[in-house]
Amino acid sequence: MKKTTNTPIPRRVVLGAAVVAAGLALSACGGGGAGTSGAGSSGGNVELNFVFWGDANRAKMTEAALRIFEKKNPGITVKTEYQDSAPYADKLATRFAGGNPPDVLAMANRSLLEYAQRGTLADLKSLPELNLDKVPETTLSRGEVDGKLYGLATGVTTIGMVVNKTITDQAGVTIPDDKTWSWEDYAKFATEVTQKTGGKVYGAGYDVATETGPIMLARQRGEDFYTKDNKLGVSEKTIEDWFQYSVDLRKAGGYPPAGFFEQIGGSPAQSYLAKGTVASQIIPINNFRGYNEAVEGEVVLLRIPGETSGERRGYSADPTMLWSIAAKSKHPKEAAKLVDFLTNDAEGAAEVLTQRGVPINPEVADSITPKLSADDKTFVNLMAAIQEEDLPPAYVYPKGASVVADTLKQLTTEVEFGRISPADAAKTFMEKSNAAINK
Amino acid sequence: MTVLTKQPRGAAPASASPGGAPRIRPSRRRKQRSGYLFLLPWFLGMLFTVIPFFASLYLAFTDYNLFTEPNFVGLANFQAMFEDPRLIQSLKVTFIYTFVSVPISLAVALLVALVLNRGLQGLSIYRSVYYLPSLLGGSVAIVMLWRYIFGNDGIVNGFLGIFGIQGPAWVTDPQFSLSTLIVLNVWTFGSPMVIFLAGLRQVPGMYYEAASIDGASKWRQFRSITLPLISPIIFFNLIMQLIGSFQTFTQGYVMSGGTGGPADSTLFYNLYLYQKGFTEFEMGYASAMAWLLLMIIAIFTAINFIASKFWVFYDN
Repeated sequence: MKKTTNTPIPRRVVLGAAVVAAGLALSACGGGGAGTSGAGSSGGNVELNFVFWGDANRAKMTEAALRIFEKKNPGITVKTEYQDSAPYADKLATRFAGGNPPDVLAMANRSLLEYAQRGTLADLKSLPELNLDKVPETTLSRGEVDGKLYGLATGVTTIGMVVNKTITDQAGVTIPDDKTWSWEDYAKFATEVTQKTGGKVYGAGYDVATETGPIMLARQRGEDFYTKDNKLGVSEKTIEDWFQYSVDLRKAGGYPPAGFFEQIGGSPAQSYLAKGTVASQIIPINNFRGYNEAVEGEVVLLRIPGETSGERRGYSADPTMLWSIAAKSKHPKEAAKLVDFLTNDAEGAAEVLTQRGVPINPEVADSITPKLSADDKTFVNLMAAIQEEDLPPAYVYPKGASVVADTLKQLTTEVEFGRISPADAAKTFMEKSNAAINK
Repeated sequence: MTVLTKQPRGAAPASASPGGAPRIRPSRRRKQRSGYLFLLPWFLGMLFTVIPFFASLYLAFTDYNLFTEPNFVGLANFQAMFEDPRLIQSLKVTFIYTFVSVPISLAVALLVALVLNRGLQGLSIYRSVYYLPSLLGGSVAIVMLWRYIFGNDGIVNGFLGIFGIQGPAWVTDPQFSLSTLIVLNVWTFGSPMVIFLAGLRQVPGMYYEAASIDGASKWRQFRSITLPLISPIIFFNLIMQLIGSFQTFTQGYVMSGGTGGPADSTLFYNLYLYQKGFTEFEMGYASAMAWLLLMIIAIFTAINFIASKFWVFYDN
């Protein structure tokens, strides 16, 4: 042994070792994340890179489904990556820019057009491996750009109002009938809760800065927040009223004071509803079970106010997120197979359940219903009931929608602290949003 | 290069031919090779610095959007900056932050260094205690901690509550959010403090002895002996803090969840640059912004160097 340390090692050996080591490292990276059950991975094995955002629980359910996919499709392994939504968006952009896009990816509604119009995504209709026969046309339309399908809903959901019934019962406040309630009814209810709890609990606790609120309000007033031709269709008046509503509700005492909300949008366990400092909140209804589990007491799921008192319905079945395939994917066939599996396979869906909304294939949705918990059934039933009603159409988000969302957030704070009036905020919102969209 | 010349001396005296013979013996070549091997990370590092450096210079003159090929647009990005209210806001935030927090944190650092220099017992413990925050200062965990301390139900408002004072929303009120970050920056005065401490140690004790024999007060001694003698250290700290402060990113990013909010009150220049590049896909504009920042830092550093002639005192 001592001899070898003195004799110089031939360069070729060193080089060879380096190459082998590099190869080992690479292949370790490749196989590591998937946790595959070694499905006959001999020659001709295709590895798909699949990325999505979400938490560990979502990842666990997804992995369980992917194992079934791998079993059903020998020769294809799936390597996944996931993280929180904000870093996810950044990383996705960098990967596309670096020419190293994932094969299959989760896409946010507000980013779809941005990616599609830059030619980074594949037309899903051009891939015969993906069967779209069972998917309703209205759902498909939410991922269509210029007649091509760039994103396929992972599932559908919408927003709803959750109320902590234990608090309202103790306070002796009746929850209004959510089939007929108006925004005025909601304000009255919220103010009453605050009064009767002696100011310990605020009746209302929804997030003014999230765009889904004004999107719904616009539709209830006969406007489209984003129009068919990808423009901003909401009126200045609607935005002003949306701001004014929270200002008035705060003045009346139904809504918490300025600066109260510090980290809205976190997990149900971190929510103010779970802390018991607010009695009601607007949530994406597929999170209902999470809220009911996090909150001590009984939580009820209601429709959004103003649905029947408004000019038309505000609801639509919205994609929770979308599946897309990179235009530059080296394995488009296999990628399409994976998206087909995620959309149409009942066995896979049984693992994921409603983690990404109600499955868009109605047969798949029906097949998982018996497996759902009571809370998830509540949400699926509400979603089904809403979809059976006569709903106005909804469209793809335009380019620059992320700037619109940011603008709304900034202006909400300005209004909250009384630095500008709702009217001025609405004016600024229109100017900034119109400037950002489709530029 | 020092590594290369020094290494043979320490490692193998036998091979080092004192005269520096032009013919390189095999053993020596091997030594050289290992020298280069040790330098390799540095070369690789340079590669990863130099290439992006020139790439960003080129991209600053294009409309690069991350996805499609960049088009040359000349000075359009730089022109657009003058009409960008958020850019001006981000400059405002960064300047206020820098010009308020740098002097305060330097003053605090010097003060603590003076106290510690008096030869306290357990000096190293104190030094570590004060230094620790600055090691962690820019880290995500500390900023999160800060969020909780200054949160609505945090320690600060809890303390104020004892006296019946309803504390403001430090983090979510745009009036206070930046001040909260300035306090965070001042709190991480540790690294300039340690450098001050080292500087103070260098001041010969005999000056003070002589001064006190002459009847000079402590304040007078500080002004006439300490300050001039450590002025190069002050200058060094000032430059480093200034540059670091202009490049602040993490604090604003974590505190506001990446938005620069509330209402753009913590929209640091680098945070806005990041948003432009990665959420609005305007990488050309973001590159131009990076070069503007470089120029700003260069100008301020130059001003400081020129001004230093009038107040920095070099012993020799």
